[in-house]
Amino acid sequence: MSQAARTNWTSASTEAIKTGSWRLAVPAYVNPPAPCHNACPVDGDIAAWIQHVRNQAYRDAWLTLIENNPLPAVTGRICHRPCEDSCNRRQLDEAIAIRCLERFVGDMALDKGWAIPETGVSRKAKIAVVGGGPAGLAVAFHLRRMGYAITLFEAQPQLGGVLRYGIPSYRLPKDILDAEIERLLALGIDARTNTRISSLADFEKLRSEFAAVFIATGAAVPKRLHQLDYSQPWVIESARYLEESNAGNSPQCGERVVVIGGGSAAMDVARTARRHGKEVVVLCLEGERQMPAQEDEVVEAKDEGITLIDGAMLQSVTDRKQKGLRLACIRVEFAAGAEPGEFEITPIHDTEFTIDADTIVPAIGQDPDTTKLQDLLQVEGGLVQVDAQKRTSVAGFFAGGDLVTMQRFVSVAFGFGKQAAIEIDRYIRAERKARDVQDQSSVPIEVINTHYHPPAARAKQQVVPALERRTSFGEVELALSGGEAHAESQRCFSCGNCTFCDNCFFFCPDMAIARENGGYSVDGDYCKGCGLCVRECPTGAIVMRQEI
Amino acid sequence: MRLPAIAERHFLASGHAACPGCPMALAMRHILNAMGPDTIAVAAPSCAAIICGAQPYSSLNIPVYQTSLESSAAAASGIRRALNAQGKHDITVIALAGDGGTYDIGFQALSSAVERDEDMIYFCFDNEGYMNTGGQKSSATPLYASTGSTPSGKPSKKKNLVEIMAAHEIPYAATATPAHLPDLVRKVEKAKSISGSRIITILIPCLAGWGLGDDEGVASARLAVDSGVFPLYEVERGHRYTLNQATKTRTVKDYLQAQRRYRHLTAQELDEIQAMVDASWARLVERCAPVQPE
Amino acid sequence: MLLTGNHAAAWGVRLSRPKFMACYPITPQTPILEKLTEFQMNGELDVEILTPESEHSAMAAYISASMTGVRVFTATSCQGLLLMHEMLHYASGMRAPIVMFNVNRTVASPWGFWPDQTDSVSQRDTGWMQLYSESGQESLDTVIQAFKIAERVSIPVMISQDAFYISHALEPVEVPTQGLVDQYLPPFEPEQFLDMERRESVGNVVGPEVFCQHRKDMGQAMQLAIAAAQESDEEWERLVGRQYGIVEPYRCKDAELVVVTMGSMCGTVRESVDDMRARGQAVGLLKVRLFRPFPAEALRHALEGVPDVLVLDRNFSPGTGGVLHQELKGALFGMSDAPRVHGFLAGVGGVNVSPAKIEELVGLVRRSEPSIQTLWTA
Repeated sequence: MSQAARTNWTSASTEAIKTGSWRLAVPAYVNPPAPCHNACPVDGDIAAWIQHVRNQAYRDAWLTLIENNPLPAVTGRICHRPCEDSCNRRQLDEAIAIRCLERFVGDMALDKGWAIPETGVSRKAKIAVVGGGPAGLAVAFHLRRMGYAITLFEAQPQLGGVLRYGIPSYRLPKDILDAEIERLLALGIDARTNTRISSLADFEKLRSEFAAVFIATGAAVPKRLHQLDYSQPWVIESARYLEESNAGNSPQCGERVVVIGGGSAAMDVARTARRHGKEVVVLCLEGERQMPAQEDEVVEAKDEGITLIDGAMLQSVTDRKQKGLRLACIRVEFAAGAEPGEFEITPIHDTEFTIDADTIVPAIGQDPDTTKLQDLLQVEGGLVQVDAQKRTSVAGFFAGGDLVTMQRFVSVAFGFGKQAAIEIDRYIRAERKARDVQDQSSVPIEVINTHYHPPAARAKQQVVPALERRTSFGEVELALSGGEAHAESQRCFSCGNCTFCDNCFFFCPDMAIARENGGYSVDGDYCKGCGLCVRECPTGAIVMRQEI
Repeated sequence: MRLPAIAERHFLASGHAACPGCPMALAMRHILNAMGPDTIAVAAPSCAAIICGAQPYSSLNIPVYQTSLESSAAAASGIRRALNAQGKHDITVIALAGDGGTYDIGFQALSSAVERDEDMIYFCFDNEGYMNTGGQKSSATPLYASTGSTPSGKPSKKKNLVEIMAAHEIPYAATATPAHLPDLVRKVEKAKSISGSRIITILIPCLAGWGLGDDEGVASARLAVDSGVFPLYEVERGHRYTLNQATKTRTVKDYLQAQRRYRHLTAQELDEIQAMVDASWARLVERCAPVQPE
Repeated sequence: MLLTGNHAAAWGVRLSRPKFMACYPITPQTPILEKLTEFQMNGELDVEILTPESEHSAMAAYISASMTGVRVFTATSCQGLLLMHEMLHYASGMRAPIVMFNVNRTVASPWGFWPDQTDSVSQRDTGWMQLYSESGQESLDTVIQAFKIAERVSIPVMISQDAFYISHALEPVEVPTQGLVDQYLPPFEPEQFLDMERRESVGNVVGPEVFCQHRKDMGQAMQLAIAAAQESDEEWERLVGRQYGIVEPYRCKDAELVVVTMGSMCGTVRESVDDMRARGQAVGLLKVRLFRPFPAEALRHALEGVPDVLVLDRNFSPGTGGVLHQELKGALFGMSDAPRVHGFLAGVGGVNVSPAKIEELVGLVRRSEPSIQTLWTA
């Protein structure tokens, strides 16, 4: 007997049904920049190297760091850390202690003796760098890594510029600076110290010998206060004071020192003088919160027994000979201007007061020495003029650092150096088209799924007790322990950085996300465009894109 | 998210007909992967059946039998016994049912099956209503939730299925959600390692039925747990309680406010729900507390 | 062996070696399942026994068990059968070759325990084959045949016997040897089941065309089932010497009137026919054993040239009357020289229908114009 007919139930998997046609938007792994990245003057891939720290891949972290920053152990101590100000985590609890982590990685690299990966000289063009401060070092570093032969000219006996001669060792120990510079030079940079390039003839010579010249001779000329008679022995310029102290001497001065200024240099002078046993008063125009010095510098200074008189201006000085100096001062209202260095002050009526002192150290900023350069290059407002490509008015001459900008931060100089290196390379290659710089807006806090980031306190950087600090040039701020650093790295949202957590892969109800070499792909045949992967991405690395 | 390698298997195929972002499809994916190939499923008319696919397609890479709404547990029993009769003890029988098919119409069959300690794992996808028919009230619908049959809010509380199952003293009863995938997978694996009647109730925020965005299902399930409305816990043999997430970190309001079905809620009603959740939570915590020896 | 109709059925089941059954009690069927649990306890029957909470769950489990590839048997009665109603459709839709024994009993409300076939005839559209048994012996034989038919055409089969008249009445029953039955009934090897290799999803959602295709398949199988029932019966006869036919004409040759009925009533009519024939009245009996699929062709053939047909229905379909009466009229419609078909609701609710009553009805309708209605016996 024949079998009764039966219709087979299943002939295929539902994979035959392309549910991708349902969707209006599709997830895209765009990895937008983190706010810290956008804020970083050296364009540092901060979330990426912190992720390496989280994975305890410290060498990878360091290698990522030095892609943009030749001296991470230095910036890990003295960077003004705009990254932390922009950190999304501030809106949950506290910013990531990025600088502490950078220092941790930077110190580890020095400790372990990691070398910068070698790069042979592959380019014919030779490049001269004039000035061995932050901008010069950065340009030399980046161009060397691009394969150029570099000759670095420095007027001083040692490289480092402001890092060496300006910043006291309790903030930046000299051995750290030496080690990082030494490691940089080990890349094969011809550094000629005690070689001042200043005359037109010097520059003409460079032009004939080198394909390009980068000038970053810094800002070594102190600004002057009209109220002060600089010929008096009781006036000591801050740069001179710091240079002498940084050379290991105790500068000659009276017991009562008044430092004038609100920036880092003023703090450095005050705290240095304190360490030499002086009674120190800082007098500054800005209110405490307006001071350009970093907040912790001010706090630490006060802890060390320095008296801060903020929002006040020196009007005149009376030399009372044996009785010392009497400084006539007045309270002022300080209003910052549009550009760095611009401000407006209004004296407040009937608020005059006096300070008695023996020595005055003005530290109100410095200007570049352009007396000779202005014969060669276009100079305006005391600054060498450069265009967006860091070119000066003379072909083949580039300039950077404090010489060209009022943004007097070490990290800004490093960033400038990196940009200049890129532009010099373009110039030598005779590339006309500018690099396609994508100005992407950074990941907003709203797209960070904070469920994946439980509240955790920021790592607290320990400092040497104030009493101990008063007599020591030893480093004030202490390093994080390995455990502290690792814990801190785990607080990072990794904004915009895929951490390969697999959330997108595992949370897809349609099996439309696949793992791929080093990432993920979306299967357009099946993705229904629900956006669950985006919603559950802990870092905001994925976004939904409308499809037409 | 760390999940065992089995979570990467492929026992639910793409192309299924679940709504975009459906947390139930997500839960099924991980349940099926954790179950693996030696499994036969019973599916009741529900979104589970829809996800399984229409003839001639199947989204499940295992044999599936689709029974009537009220008979998942009975049909699963039949398969189990037939397998036993053939000596096929290595195959696990699972039921995939909704809350209507479990708390309501299938309750009798389920109670009997677990009373007989039928060797099966029953998965109740609890989306707190008859969502496949457009969102009507079931006995799993919580207090004051608006549904198609209770538009001004359900006047009575949700039935506590886990406690009823625990009262049957079955080997394993647990709750889970698609927001807690490692927990879900662990529970499926644990259930697999036990024999007899096992039931896992999975809270499934229904995007359409609860009034949630396509990408909000997981977040909502997470809030349900964080607010203590849907605690993650396990009961073994009816008396050994384990609370998987030991603290309540969110308010009921945090959980409810994103859902359209609670939009009409008054402040007083909200307080009432909060008090009810607090009381249930306290009772549960008490049950989980280790008993002091006399 | 002296057996009740219920125990005879149980013996038929035992010999057919099912692997799965469920046991849910309902009078007057309970002794069948109790006999089977006893066989199992004694090691005489290797079967998984489920004790569910309802007939509905029982049927749900039979279907899935059958789909898992084992031979399945169950028994029920009246309310139990009605509770299964939904799942009867599921069973036939899944083409699960389940064999179920039903003991015909009045359907509530009001309550009763009496023979009445309304319970099973009302399930006529569920896609199950239906066979009605006249005796314990026939019940035993039919159970065995039913497995063979069901598994050949993939259609579930229901066998009915009347409450008490057959279910609880003792009669000598010849129980065939296991060897003979094994020879007759091959091991269950279904073509379609929940195969771990094929991993099909069965019973799922379909579109209109596919639904229609399933129904056409079922209809085709039902047509094949008539021949399957016939051949299975003939094969059984060759083996054990007993046969019943899908319909059985008894002394119908040259009959002027043929009584048509199902179940235990056939026995009574058989006696009346003998009495009437002895008195020279040309009366015969046509027993309808296969009610689904309805064997229209066989019925037309058996009633060709018969002037009057008297249908006795021990069932009641309010608003229509006797189900067999109505269906027979439909089957005979359009026959040239079709018989006059008279219908009576005889024995509804278990009311006794004596041979005298049958003779009275025969006398009443002979050579008269039939009513369009099925009439109540006074």
